[in-house]
Amino acid sequence: MENNNKKSSVLRSYCLNPDINFETHEEGEKVFLLLRSHPFTQIGWIFSSILIFILLFVLNIFIKDILSSGQIFIINIFFVVFILSYILFNILNWYFNVGIVTSKRVIDIDFYAVLYKEITVAQLGKIEDITVKSGGYFESLFDYGSIEIQTAGTTEYVEFNDVPYPTDAVQLINKLLSKKHGL
Amino acid sequence: MDFKNIFSSINDMGIVNIFFKIVISFFAIFYYFYALVIAKQVKTMDKALQDKYNWLILFVSSFQVTVSLILLILLVIAVFLV
Repeated sequence: MENNNKKSSVLRSYCLNPDINFETHEEGEKVFLLLRSHPFTQIGWIFSSILIFILLFVLNIFIKDILSSGQIFIINIFFVVFILSYILFNILNWYFNVGIVTSKRVIDIDFYAVLYKEITVAQLGKIEDITVKSGGYFESLFDYGSIEIQTAGTTEYVEFNDVPYPTDAVQLINKLLSKKHGL
Repeated sequence: MDFKNIFSSINDMGIVNIFFKIVISFFAIFYYFYALVIAKQVKTMDKALQDKYNWLILFVSSFQVTVSLILLILLVIAVFLV
């Protein structure tokens, strides 16, 4: 399925024909697309991490007169550890929340706050409606948006949030659907 | 009497030092358990999705557990023995 002109890009948030495996991967099932949130949507926690680092420097100026050097050293260690844990936590949230398009189905793997797992699957044959939502200044500038995939008979739907090139992804899913229905 | 003087007089009583030790100890214990939970969860995530850089994330989460354990041991030595 080389119809899509975008190659794997945007820091592995849009990967065509990725070399991945997942929990419910069936034999003979080919993975065509792997989607993650656009890196730009992660800017919030990146900025807050930098801000906490700056806060640490400011804090050091204030506490140098009231605490001993040993205590300041320990506070600094814990502050740095806290920031690094916060960064790791957010990277995990970004890296493992993925959308997968295969030759048989569309899968949404979500980990809420790292601890809660939710896997939503929509068989290609049951897909009824696909909606692309992209609006706003940054969405237009960086070309990212959300995709909602509605399936027949249920209120459940698969949703890929803030993924890069949503139109191309939908195009690929539509081609797979056409192939599936023999159109 | 300004804030600095009030703080120094409380500090002279050793209250700040004790409070500091208690807070840091709790923090170290909490961080160790947090690192353990994250490492365990990363293994679950790795099972759910195997991608190119999973090895790096597994390494970082294991490293975090090691760091938290070292911190906990060093803190016990620093706070209670020194």
